[in-house]
Amino acid sequence: MSNTMTTHWDKEVDVIVLGTGGAALTAAVAAAESGSKVLVLEKTHQIGGTTAFSGGVPWIPLNHYMKEQGFEDNREDVINFIKRLALDRAEDHMIETFVDKGHEVIKFLHDHTPVRFVSPKSYPEYYARMDEALKHGTRSLDPAPFNLNEIGEWGELVRQNPIFPPLTLEEGGAVGGIDFQVVAERMQNNTVTMGRALIASLFKACLDRGVETLIETAGKELVMGEDGQVVGVIAETKDEEIFRFAARKGVILASGGFEWNKQLVKAFLKAEFTHPVTPPGNEGDALMMAMKAGAALENMSEAWWYPAMVDPTFEYEDNVMAQLGSGRQGPNSIVVNKYGRRFVHEGTTYNDMPRAFFNYDPVKVEFPNEGPNWMIFDQQLKDSQLIVTMSPGEPAPEWVDQADSIRELAEKIGVDPAGLEDEIRKWNEYCEQGVDPDFHRGTIQFEALTSGGGSPANNLGKIEKGPFYALPIYLGALGTNGGPKINENGQVVNFKGEPIKGLYAAGNASGNPLGPIYPSAGGTIGPAMVFGFLAGQHAVNS
Amino acid sequence: MPQGTHTVEVPLDIQTIWNFVHDMNNWAPLVPGYIEHEILSERQSTWAFKGDLGFMKKTVKLQIDIKEWNEPSEVTFDLKGMSDNFKGGGYFRAEAIDEKTTKMSGHLDITAGGMMGAMVNQILTKFVPQTAEELTEAIVAKLLEINLVK
Repeated sequence: MSNTMTTHWDKEVDVIVLGTGGAALTAAVAAAESGSKVLVLEKTHQIGGTTAFSGGVPWIPLNHYMKEQGFEDNREDVINFIKRLALDRAEDHMIETFVDKGHEVIKFLHDHTPVRFVSPKSYPEYYARMDEALKHGTRSLDPAPFNLNEIGEWGELVRQNPIFPPLTLEEGGAVGGIDFQVVAERMQNNTVTMGRALIASLFKACLDRGVETLIETAGKELVMGEDGQVVGVIAETKDEEIFRFAARKGVILASGGFEWNKQLVKAFLKAEFTHPVTPPGNEGDALMMAMKAGAALENMSEAWWYPAMVDPTFEYEDNVMAQLGSGRQGPNSIVVNKYGRRFVHEGTTYNDMPRAFFNYDPVKVEFPNEGPNWMIFDQQLKDSQLIVTMSPGEPAPEWVDQADSIRELAEKIGVDPAGLEDEIRKWNEYCEQGVDPDFHRGTIQFEALTSGGGSPANNLGKIEKGPFYALPIYLGALGTNGGPKINENGQVVNFKGEPIKGLYAAGNASGNPLGPIYPSAGGTIGPAMVFGFLAGQHAVNS
Repeated sequence: MPQGTHTVEVPLDIQTIWNFVHDMNNWAPLVPGYIEHEILSERQSTWAFKGDLGFMKKTVKLQIDIKEWNEPSEVTFDLKGMSDNFKGGGYFRAEAIDEKTTKMSGHLDITAGGMMGAMVNQILTKFVPQTAEELTEAIVAKLLEINLVK
């Protein structure tokens, strides 16, 4: 039995936080605010977790930054919007807690820590054209640039972000034109943005509160008291040295999801995704500890899905680096399966689009879209957009399949040539007519997010000018979001719905309290920070 | 322009060093992150290696064109990316200090062009001098190894 009481402690603190991502550090700040002694354990050699690797954007309704920009928000509207997306798979009280507490957390961070955000004026909500959505402005918050020198030697340890350049959302860090000169200047003076800025500013807040952080020290087991309360953590360093740390007030699991643990992925998810767009340390450590402690689980078949693309010449920590890619929303391109057939609106949000990968054909008894699926595009798109790492005007690298005819391209990539030729003929007809009756390209906000939303002009373009190109699109994810079920205090609950005393979870280490939704940019980090904060606060105040 | 030069005093005569350096097959595998190389002609070769940029690794294929063989003191070359927008060059220079000692310098400059050039060059600012140093040191170590200098 791993959950054993121990009489010897190497260190005693009030709160132990596992992980150093957005949920973890927000929890640590909240716990340390009252003067409690907080110990943060990070398994890897870098701090920041999945958040540092990301855009670092929290989605927070009713936040004061949007008010200052003149964007109106409304509690009832937000709750209706979340419920609409959650499809009855989230509990009302958790949605309400998130909506009511989220903006308070952001205000607290603004007033008491170096964490700063900007409400981006030109970055709309992903679902802006839905009836229930916010039409003007955004609830997404863009971390302000932060100089890593402010956290001294820890600056070197903030996890590198190979995905996003050091630009803010509005500067085109996630979507749109990138000014590589600004990128170079920021790199030179050690200024970071997005996920790294959020992590570095939160970490500064931790340093200011005396939070102790140990890197390369993984939480391995929870220590349970006789009454079933979690009283500590057994940790292991990379050199296999074992430490026993006591937590007088609570242990907060915030060490990420389980997307890099093949066994857990196979056990819980709808399909075995092959390309997590996250750091490889996310191996479900927290999930396994929570299961041993008797936690109820929720949202287990879900993830923050992403249609990943790959430039195979890049590696991150010994794995070919899955990349966010770009171009799939643009004109002159479609996405097809092995039959050469379209199967989804190509420009829907990155969380929604891969859900079509799971479609089952009960006649053929197969998952026809399980991949690899292919983005097919022509020279016009190649000449006009950065696609993965291919710049317009430069020759296509050898890792991109290309051919002078559609048939030749289909044969090269193992896709049914007749199917692909027919699909492109149909697509080109739709482009002439200015309407896509099959999948409604050109109709939603996300497919031309920062340039006015989807329209025939933005998104319907013929595939007609050779050479023609094909890039595989894989099932990826920005992390899993199923895990131990939490309550409105961030406490992990058991199958009776009772809190497991002393045990908390937040972020990708917990089940998403909002269910299977990704409301807009920061749908991941918003709930992570809010419930991380609530967990930290409750642990020291209860 | 990202560049770096590394100089080492080697306790070997200049001809021994030349004999080693003038044949690319001897030292190509010593390039940090070496994957493979192919000699296309006396003056042209292609190289593949995996550059460690610190936060990620990037596999690069380069074409190397020898500009000059000046026996026994200098080899100069141009390089360009085969699937990435890089160009640059480098040299190895040997200068006899005395009959048994030679000063050996390795130099590398690589500049990225195109849309992402400014950003990539910032990354290369650290990578290029580090690579020049590691390669030069590796060549010296190999020279000492095969010439039994302990």
